[in-house]
Order: sequence, then C-alpha cells, then structure tokens
Amino acid sequence: MYRNQETLNKLEGFLLDVEKPARYIGGEPGSVCKDRESVDIRFAFAFPDTYEIGMSHLGMKILYALKNSVPNYWCERCFMPLPDMREKMLENEIELYGLESLDPIKEFDFIGFTIQYEMCYTNILEMLKLSGLSVFASERTALTPIVMGGGPCVCNAEPLADFFDLFAVGEGEELNLEIMRLMERCKRENRTKAEFLRMASQIEGVYVPSLYDVFYNSDGTVSAIVPKDGAPAKVRKRIIRDLNKSFYPENFVVPFVDIVHNRAVEEVMRGCIRGCRFCQAGFIYRPLREKSHETVINQTKTLLKNTGYDEVSLSSLSTSDFTDIEELLCNLNKWTKDNRVNLSLPSLRIDCFSEKILTEISSVKRSGLTFAPEAGTQRLRDVINKNITESDVLNSVKIAFEGGYSAIKLYFMFGLPTETDDDIIGIYELAKAVVEEFYQNPDRPKGKAPSVSISLSMFIPKPFTPFEFEPQIGEEEINRRVKLLLDARKDRKVSISYSDSKLALLEAVFARGDRRVGKAIYTAWKNGCIMDGWNDYFDFEKWKQAFEECGLSMEFYANRRREYDEIAPWSMLDMLVSKDFLIEENKRAHNFESTPNCREKCSGCGVSDCPVHKKN
Amino acid sequence: MANVNTRVFFSKTGRAKFISHLDLYGVFQRAVRKAGLPAWYTEGLSPRLYLQFMLPLSLGQEGLREAVDFKMLDEMSFEEIIKRLSGALPYDICVIEAAAPVMKNTDISRAEYEISGKIDLDGFRELCERDSIIVEKKTKKGVSEIDLKPYISCLEFSDKITLRLPAGNDFNINPTLLLGAYEREFGKTSGIKIVRTQIFNSDGEMFR
Repeated sequence: MYRNQETLNKLEGFLLDVEKPARYIGGEPGSVCKDRESVDIRFAFAFPDTYEIGMSHLGMKILYALKNSVPNYWCERCFMPLPDMREKMLENEIELYGLESLDPIKEFDFIGFTIQYEMCYTNILEMLKLSGLSVFASERTALTPIVMGGGPCVCNAEPLADFFDLFAVGEGEELNLEIMRLMERCKRENRTKAEFLRMASQIEGVYVPSLYDVFYNSDGTVSAIVPKDGAPAKVRKRIIRDLNKSFYPENFVVPFVDIVHNRAVEEVMRGCIRGCRFCQAGFIYRPLREKSHETVINQTKTLLKNTGYDEVSLSSLSTSDFTDIEELLCNLNKWTKDNRVNLSLPSLRIDCFSEKILTEISSVKRSGLTFAPEAGTQRLRDVINKNITESDVLNSVKIAFEGGYSAIKLYFMFGLPTETDDDIIGIYELAKAVVEEFYQNPDRPKGKAPSVSISLSMFIPKPFTPFEFEPQIGEEEINRRVKLLLDARKDRKVSISYSDSKLALLEAVFARGDRRVGKAIYTAWKNGCIMDGWNDYFDFEKWKQAFEECGLSMEFYANRRREYDEIAPWSMLDMLVSKDFLIEENKRAHNFESTPNCREKCSGCGVSDCPVHKKN
Repeated sequence: MANVNTRVFFSKTGRAKFISHLDLYGVFQRAVRKAGLPAWYTEGLSPRLYLQFMLPLSLGQEGLREAVDFKMLDEMSFEEIIKRLSGALPYDICVIEAAAPVMKNTDISRAEYEISGKIDLDGFRELCERDSIIVEKKTKKGVSEIDLKPYISCLEFSDKITLRLPAGNDFNINPTLLLGAYEREFGKTSGIKIVRTQIFNSDGEMFR
C-alpha cells in the first residue's frame, strides 16, 4: 500500500504529542488507496472543519466513493487540523496532506472544499495556506491544483470569489466527474488554467467567478453582473433526476475515533415538500425526489454489512414525509432487530409524529426527543409557513411522554420577520404547555419531573428563500428580546439556551454578502481569525476591526431590507426556484398567509419537471 | 447453543498504533460484525458485543501478540475465524492465531518490550545498572515513588533495547517510565519506537 514515507516519518516523530492522533494518519477501514503511478486525476476532498464533523458528512461519503469508483481517479480526504496539530505541522514543515497517501495536496489536480456553513470561511484560507498555496485564485497560475467549492453556501459564493477557481452548483454526482474528465483532457492537451476554466464554464452547473465582472451603484448595491469569455449569464444548478439510478456508496470510511454521527446513513430522499420560508435547504434542494423502498432497504443492508456499523439513520430533510414511512420502518425493523441494528430517524416533523414511528425507533435507545415548532405563536408560524398548530405539538409530546420520554427539546427561531413581544412570550407559553402535558399522563413515572429545554437560534436571512429580502434585527434588539424571554420564564422545568448573536450577525453578512466581503474575510484571517464557528476561537472584535479596515459595513449586508428589484449578488445563479415565486411567498408572509405543501397543492415555484407535481 | 470461549491473537502495528485502547473496542466490534461471526452479546438494557482485551496497550506502542477474548454462539473452526476476521480488520491489525483460551488474564505477569530510536545505549545501560532507579508512578490512588530496578529483567542490548517488565491489570510498569528516567538525566530522546513483543505468565511461559 502506497504512503508517503517522508511525511509518515515526520508524523511518527510527533503525532503522540497531539490530541487524538488517529484523526491525522488515515488507514481507516473503507479508505481507498490506489497506486499513484496508475491514476490520472487526484482529488483532495477538503472539509474545512474538524475530522469529527467532516467524517459525519454524507455528501463527502457519496462523492469520495463515486470518484474512487473510477479506476484512474483517486480521491482522498483532508480536514482542518486543530491548533495543536497545526503548530506541529508548521514546526516540522509538513504541508497539508491527503489522509490516504499522505502526499501533499498541493500536488493534486483538485482541491475541492465542501462549504457547509458560513463560519468555516477562514478555515478554507488556513487550509490553503497550510497546503503551501496562495489563498488568491489569481496568484495560483498553474493548471493544477484547481481549487473548487461545492455545498449549500455556494448558492452565494461571492464572499469567497477571490479564493476559488470554480464552484460546482447543485448536486455533485454527475458534475464532479464531468469536471474531472475535462481536467484529464486539459492535462493531455497541455492546456493552461485559463483555458481549463473557460471550458469548465461551459459545463452546466459550473460557476467560474473570475469570468464575471461585478459593478456597483453609489449606494453600495450591485448594479450589474457581466459575464465574459462566453460564460453563461445564468449558471443553472445540477440535479439528479432519479435517485434509484444514481450512485450511492456501498461502503463508508469508518473512523477509528468517535465522531459526531458514527453510523451508517441511508439517504432516503432529497428536497422537501414543506417550504418553510426561512429554510434555505427547503428551496435550494427542490424538487422532492424519493428512493423506492426497495432501493432504501437494499442500500441499507449493503452499507451495514460492509461497514460493520450497528446503527443506521434514514436521512433526509424531513424523513417523516417519506411516502409510506411506517411501512418502510416495519419492513426494515424486522431485519434490523435480527441483526442488532438500531434505526434512527433524524428530522421528524411534529405533525407526522405517530405512536407507530415512536415504537419503531425507540426499541433500543430512549433518550430525549427534539421537536422544532420554530415560532411561539400561530400567527408567526403562519408567517414562516411552518404549517403546524399548537395541538400538533401537544399531541406529539403526549405520545412521547406516554412512550416513556421525559426530556423534550424544542427548537425556536428568534428575530423572525414580523416578530413581536407576544411571539416571544409565546415561546415560553408553549414550553409551559408541554410541561403541563406531562402531568396529564396518568401513567407518568412517579416522582419524576419533565425537562423541557428551549433552544433558540437567531434567524439568518438566506439567499433563495422568501426571506432573502428581510433584515436581521440589530444586536440591541436581540438582547432586549432574549431578556424578555428569560424574564418571562418562571417554571424551572423549562430551560433556555441561545446562540451568540454576534456569530449570527456575521453569518448573515456572509450569507448575503458580495465580492467585497472577501477582503474582510482575508483581513480577519490575516489578523488571526480561525475556527470562527467554535466559541473558544471566535473573536468578534477582530472581525469588527477587519470590516472597518476594509471600509465595509456589516449592517449594510445584514440589517437592511432589500427591495424586490435589487440585483442580488448571487443573481448569476439559477437554483430552479423562480424569483417571482420568492417575492410572492414574501408577500404572503407579510399577510400572515401560509402556503400548502407541495403534495397538497403545487404553488408553482418554478421548478420544471417536478415529480411531486407530476404525481398529483 | 454452544458458547465457545475464543481467544484471538493479533498484531497492532504501523498506523494502527494510533488507535487508542478505548477506540479499539469499536474497531473489533465492527470487524466481528462484518466478519459475520456469531458472537455473544451481553444481556440487559443495552446489549453490547462481549469483547475482552487481555492487556491494554498504550497509545503509540506497537504490539506483536496482543489478545482479545469473545464467545462464539455457534461452532466455527479457528481457521475460519482467522480468515473472516482478517478480512474485516483494518490494514495494520493482523490476526495471528485463534484458539481456546488456556490462561486467564489474571495470569499475565510480565511483558517483553523492544525499544529503539535515538537513544544513547551506553547511557541507558548505565542507568539500568544502578542500584536503584526511582521514578514517580501515577496510580489510581495518586502519585507514588517507585524503584524500577528490581522489576527489570532479561535486559539485552543490540541495535535496540530488549527488556521485560511487570504487566497485568493489577500491577503494570510501562516502559515509558524507564524512558522518562533516562530523559531526565541524559536528555531528550526522539523517534522512539516501543514494541510489545510477548506477554508471559508468572512462570515465564508465553501467554496462551
């Protein structure tokens, strides 16, 4: 088995001095090693966060296995080293390496980052630097490595435009291979990087930021986005039409150390019928596509057999919306029980939560249950189109309490459009009603008190949602509203936790920022910002300074209402959902009107060839 | 149903030396499942695969003949167990032997280690020839001083150091204690490689 002996020798010298060294050495079951002489294209799949988080990510597992299924392509993994490891790497002059070969990733043809959330942007710069590369795309003049990005944040990649050569928009299964094939050809024909990028821009779903000039109005808004060198005016996201026919891994890399989600994952569908107006995933992953029960069962069995895992989760944005989910669970459960496998279902909706589902999933573990009402009053739930009622919530917790649960976690969002003080008090009142529901159960465990925890996260307006026009509320107002809720809380069985409002402000800035924000990211990183998603590392003062230094205003990006006809920085992308639909939904939100889900009634979101629409 | 106690001997070298003792359980558990071995699970509220490692190996040390016990619910030849498990374990963990246990883990009394790397052999020899080698040893009760000298046996020098030290779940001396004593007087070592080559009972017989 090939591995870079020089790196290995250096690593052996110090790896015992860093925490959990098994994260940095590779060699896990399921990892793929190839003969480096016989591969033509090498791809470093880079996850700009820790090993534990990155290894839990499904997209990486799919694309890793897919690329490695091509005999002459070799895909390796690469994560953000924690500071103790980073220091040792610098001290010992080790550049960022792929975990499979231990070769430096700057020698690869591609470094592909998956960009899952905004607060990892500085990690991307740090990983490029640790690789021995310039962070600026314009300073990397050789054909390889091409630095590319994919994942949800790519639907507004503008703050990262200076650092990336290209972005892959939408689902990656076909697109990644097309890009790699183009590279194979360009290497053979001795093409330049500029030629490669021009050709790549012709592939549907490829956005090459350097082929677009952006102009601004005097008020700071975008006045025009002009493509050049034949790049398309609109880059259309890619989707996989039939999930039953698309690639799915038969094996995962199974880590030695414990990770966030250490289990097999079977993706049962993509997209979501719900259309909650704050939820970016609900719009950018349209249309809804499901796998057949047969596919789900076969893939699940194969994965469990090959990985040795004893837990599998049926994953999607809202698994309880999966067609005939109860039947599927019954069919699977017979097999999983015989094989000592736990079934877990993340993302259950409150209104679909049934006794049946509960018994199917709770056969083994009985810890807490989490529900997401998102808003405290019916009026506000209508505004955000979270089509559930208070009685849905109370019904579900009743089933849960009767099923033996006593700890309930409730997710709420804070600072939603049109939110009033009544909505905030409503959060506590709903939690209180959940506590009371516990005592309605005659069979409740005696002498045991329920625990209801409210988890608050800040509303962040995201591109390609009906709320992309909305301002985020300012810090003072956030603090006032938090205090209002904390003061309203009388019952000690209800606990409240909330996220950092400063972090949410930055997230809002990046989510809807334009190209100029890249300067602030670069400056903040230069000044030492890194791992911003982690409380221990996040340093807001440095960020504030960086924005001031660059003459940029966070408020301009985060706290301003945007007109419907403003040119959004991301308007060169076509995520299939039409802007007219987003505007229509925004208007309905302000009229407190909800919209039926896709199965009830098609709302004409603009996605053509939608399987849900066809079925109805 | 049969309930066959089975002991598997394995080596843990190369990249696998970075797998901690705690994580090793998961690695073997998944390997047993992948191998389709009909192994016994504990009973009770949350059943788990029964696996008992005979002697923990420190993170970073290699082991050439480590042992783990489990119980088979169905008869299966040891050759078959070796074959299946070998295919299911990570690259740097190799199954050497499978057999019915002969000794108990409480019989374990000593282990043999090989130490190599950048270390002054003369200095190390001088240290080992002293009347006493006092070091601090951390135990569950706290830190206590201990004299290593009487515990070292079968000391040999070639291009590496070979020695035996007490081993077992009640009383165990990690060779890093001796290396620590060396470093305090003779300066820092580097590139040290520690390999546990053998495990013995109190009669000096190989652990089986």
